Amino acid sequence: MAAARVFLVGGVISYRALFNWIRPLSYATTMLGIPLFQLLFFAYVGRFAGVRDDAFFVVGNAVQATAMGGLYAMTMTVANERFFGTLAPVLATPANRLALFLGRALPVVLNALAVSAVAFAAGLLLLDFSLPAARVPALAAVVLVTATATTGLGLLLGSLGLRVRDVLFASNLVYFGTLLVCGVNVPLDVLPPWLQAVGRALPLTHGVEAARRVAGGEGLGGVDGLLATEAGIGAAYALVAFALFRVFELEGRRRASLETY
Amino acid sequence: MAVIEAEELRRTYRTTTGALRRRTLDVEAVRGVTFAVERGELYGLLGPNGAGKTTIIKVLVTLLLPTAGSARVLGHDVVRDVREVRRRVGFVFGGERGLYERLSGLDNLRYFAELYGVPAREQGRRIAELLDLVGLSGRERERVEGYSRGMRQRLHIARGLMHDPEVLFLDEPTLGLDPVGARELRQTVAGLTEAGKTLLLTTHYMFEADALCDRIAVLSRGRIVAEGTPRALKERVGGGRVIEVEVFGIGEERVDALRAVGGVRSVAVEERGQVQALVVRTDAGVEVTPALLARLAGTTIGRVSYREPTLEDAYVALVEE
Ligand SMILES: Nc1ncnc2c1ncn2[C@@H]1O[C@H](COP(=O)(O)OP(=O)(O)O)[C@@H](O)[C@H]1O
Ligand SMILES: [Mg+2]
Repeated sequence: MAAARVFLVGGVISYRALFNWIRPLSYATTMLGIPLFQLLFFAYVGRFAGVRDDAFFVVGNAVQATAMGGLYAMTMTVANERFFGTLAPVLATPANRLALFLGRALPVVLNALAVSAVAFAAGLLLLDFSLPAARVPALAAVVLVTATATTGLGLLLGSLGLRVRDVLFASNLVYFGTLLVCGVNVPLDVLPPWLQAVGRALPLTHGVEAARRVAGGEGLGGVDGLLATEAGIGAAYALVAFALFRVFELEGRRRASLETY
Repeated sequence: MAVIEAEELRRTYRTTTGALRRRTLDVEAVRGVTFAVERGELYGLLGPNGAGKTTIIKVLVTLLLPTAGSARVLGHDVVRDVREVRRRVGFVFGGERGLYERLSGLDNLRYFAELYGVPAREQGRRIAELLDLVGLSGRERERVEGYSRGMRQRLHIARGLMHDPEVLFLDEPTLGLDPVGARELRQTVAGLTEAGKTLLLTTHYMFEADALCDRIAVLSRGRIVAEGTPRALKERVGGGRVIEVEVFGIGEERVDALRAVGGVRSVAVEERGQVQALVVRTDAGVEVTPALLARLAGTTIGRVSYREPTLEDAYVALVEE
């Protein structure tokens, strides 16, 4: 019961406390502005080069937009404890650690879903992209799975941020990396094998592919393998992230490395 | 059974310096500290900066492992029974940091109410009580980033009491507060002991320890150099007297000459604006004033006064020993 509340209520409060871009202006310019211009950028570069139609870029970038929340918001929502000096008081409570850690991901996933929806809407309004209403629920399900998986990777970056200063550099690197290696703007088979391998080990790759198929009319049943892989990858990152968080916590007591107050 | 027990507690920090040729350096912050605090007591750890006060508290609230020795709070080992200890102790570390700046004071408290597992239906009443106790009622909906130093400190205290802990650790609670704020805070602290809590407080203000604490341990370089009631500590260096002589411009050799007078234990020079005050601690029952004044011949002398030794005198003597 207490753990459920730490997960739900605690998760929401800590999201409001630690996610830097939650204020309306920064939210609009960063959280929504970046994916929007990114979407237009790649769609027009695509038109100019004549490689793919708008739909390819809209679906790719609108699904990848979940990384704005999943990577950046998630990194901040864990790593900013260090910035505020609140890690010691939080870790001195008897709160259930798994609920404490994973609870922070729930608002992030919902936010990622919203950002993706805005990006899809922009694609519908501004570009040559259409989506029959009947396909929306299946597509939303695919985006939800992908957003959750991406958030798993974000958790790992957040954990690292408890030890490494300025972890947002790493989040930037991963965010821009996904634009290239996850099939968002460049089909995977164009890439050299090692980059394909990197892409397949990251969240987004399988989710983006599933989203393209569902947007193209395929049912969820046809992409269940892709979704299972995507979910598995996300869960693996989240698990490593939690293990790392616990290691840092225990090691912090020994080496006095976690307290910065 | 004592509520807080520390036995031969030690903590060493390992630090590394140098980017290329890394050298490790061990800092012995706490070197074998033993003490016990009884239920309902307000116990003070008094010592200068770097004496090891914060380190001891961190070990007792399970944020740090001791390097050696052991400690128990309410019978629970601070290394093995971590959750049991965490449920029952609260702590307040002084400072501006450690709060969620963008949240209101209220939301800061709500968050910790969840983390400490305060049942939802009790939270509202509990938080209202605490806001009242620390005098933040009416300001709780403002963001913490706009709080003054004193308000932050009071919010820290409210948070430390969130789960109604039996034992509270306060690390330099009045550090950086203005005199009025510090006095109010000391009243709050005094009120907590009346409510039956056991408190351990650190401070480097002698008068604060004197005013608040039932017993004091004087800490110097990681060791307890004296322990007892404020009164007993005064008596340890007591029996003596303090003579303060105001002078206008005095050289070091003259001060040394005063130190050589029989019956004089120590002489300190305090700058007080235009004048200097010689604080001369003497043995009891000896009359040294004529000898002192004789050696000050030729110097302009102001007021001469006598007083009983304060805890500060005791403290200075102990820490300098
Ligand atoms: N995390 C740390 N790493 C290295 N040295 C530390 C650390 N924390 C404290 N110290 C050192 O340990 C000693 C005791 O510090 P502390 O317990 O903070 O003393 P106090 O609270 O009495 O001022 C000091 O010399 C301090 O520099
Ligand atoms: Mg300290």
